[in-house]
Amino acid sequence: MLGALIIWLALLGPVIALLTHLSGSAIVSALTGPGDLDPLFTSLASGAVTLAVLLVFCTPLAYLLARGSLPFPRIWEAGVLCSLLLPPLVIGLLLIFMVGPYTPIGELLNATPWHLSVTNTFLALVIAEVYESAPYYVVGAQAAFADVDPRMEEQAALLGDRPRRVFRRVTLPLAAPGLGVALSVAWARAMGAFGAVIIIAYHPYGLPLQIYNTLQETGLASALPYALILLVVALPLPLAAFTWSARARRRRRG
Amino acid sequence: MLDADVEVDRREFTVRAELQVAPGERLALFGPSGAGKTTLLEVIAGLVPPGRGRVQLGGRVLTSTESPKVFVPPWQRRVGLLRQDPGLFPHLSVRRNLCYGPGVDPSGRELAQVADALGISAVLSAMPVRLSGGQAHRVALGRLLLAHCDALLLDEPYTGLDASLRRSLTELVARLVDDRAVPAVLVAHELAEAQAFADRLAILDHGRLLQVGAPDEVVLRPASRRVAELVGYLGFVPADGRAGIEAGIHPERVTSGAHPERGVVLTGMVTGCRPSGAGWEADLAVGATTITCRLPERLAEAGGELVVTAVDPPWFGPDGAAVAGPYGSPAPSGPSNPEQVGR
Repeated sequence: MLGALIIWLALLGPVIALLTHLSGSAIVSALTGPGDLDPLFTSLASGAVTLAVLLVFCTPLAYLLARGSLPFPRIWEAGVLCSLLLPPLVIGLLLIFMVGPYTPIGELLNATPWHLSVTNTFLALVIAEVYESAPYYVVGAQAAFADVDPRMEEQAALLGDRPRRVFRRVTLPLAAPGLGVALSVAWARAMGAFGAVIIIAYHPYGLPLQIYNTLQETGLASALPYALILLVVALPLPLAAFTWSARARRRRRG
Repeated sequence: MLDADVEVDRREFTVRAELQVAPGERLALFGPSGAGKTTLLEVIAGLVPPGRGRVQLGGRVLTSTESPKVFVPPWQRRVGLLRQDPGLFPHLSVRRNLCYGPGVDPSGRELAQVADALGISAVLSAMPVRLSGGQAHRVALGRLLLAHCDALLLDEPYTGLDASLRRSLTELVARLVDDRAVPAVLVAHELAEAQAFADRLAILDHGRLLQVGAPDEVVLRPASRRVAELVGYLGFVPADGRAGIEAGIHPERVTSGAHPERGVVLTGMVTGCRPSGAGWEADLAVGATTITCRLPERLAEAGGELVVTAVDPPWFGPDGAAVAGPYGSPAPSGPSNPEQVGR
């Protein structure tokens, strides 16, 4: 118990430092200027879109990884881990090579009726956040699916459910507590994404870049309030997910 | 009618079996662990594709490896499988578990009737985690009944439950199978459980069906020495005067004293004696063989001599197949005395 408290306080150290170095007037002046809340909205919107992308595209991948139904599973897993192993800054630079304006993909996107670009756009911000958060979600979701007893799925099938229906009625609800936690971690990662973002999505600013720019332009005192906002705004969703997960698990396990 | 004639390749051996179970009939598959019993059920349920063969249920071909090839997926088979783990969905209440199958009305009369018959009406709104082991099994069974399965497969469903609960659940399932007239197959690794449930007993060993018949017939007249070993014959005593012929001695079919008119009289030295249930179990050295017998009283200490009669034992030839007894067939009826056998 004491050991846990010490570790917890140590992890919380930076937040304590943040709170002790904030002044009320700095918070007020940081939030009352015209457009001061734009980075907050940008971060929330890009975070929400990122979560939707992860849910739709990464959930099936995590499920297939968990069920071992992909050939050479270690290669698939290594692929997922690569973007976790590379420093986000490097990911950002490599994304320029991959989808920058002078690459085939970049040109293809530009040729669409909407003239899409993946540098310095909202789309770029989402892509950077997806790359930074997806491995956390995939690994967590894979563990959540692996926890679902395949015999439950088998039983549902024998009771007349097709595979899709089994997934919807049994697999997904049983994995949901774990998926919620994985999604929370991914959300936190997306909200704090900085390395890849600064390379390919300098505009529009989210909160992390706002902190960095304010630090550069006017110093630490005026940058810190944005860190507080980031915490206050990003924390409720994971907290809610953790609470719901704990409740759901208690209900099922007694 | 459930009709299966299948071959499944496993790492160590191939499971080959042919089974026919009529509607309302209860077949027990009995054999040692790893004999292939569960594999057979999984093939019937469509969870494992057979290497070769055909499964038919009520006129519908569910699996056929011959042209035209057929493999009906598990969700279209209407085959219920109950395993040791009742497999209730932990995120759904008992009522919603019961209604999981297609077309079950959560507030309908049928659900109320099944819940009543199974004694689970009081726990309908509980979550599965709150149920006792016996209740969970009843709910799982109710779920299969409400899904209107055309066949019921039970894979050692009551392992881990206490004896009286096992007995009441076995009786309940037997009654329900009768009522619904569906074929039922029980996989058991305890003979008493298989006997209590089944109309017919099938002995499976190393992927092969060794004998299928009425439970009494299989236990009292095993078709081979291997079947005898599997159903509990612990000793084999050579017959007097006929080389290679042996009598199978079941510990529970031995009575104390010499009763030559009832079977084979054996005399031996007690090498061990221990309490067993409400009686005693003694190891008896008869010639070069040791047999075990269960008797109501402790009749001799270790080292002492004991005379017992193996009641109407089955006989086996040198190749292990059942043969007629040396004193007449099937029951040995000729005179026998302590000096005749095993001295």
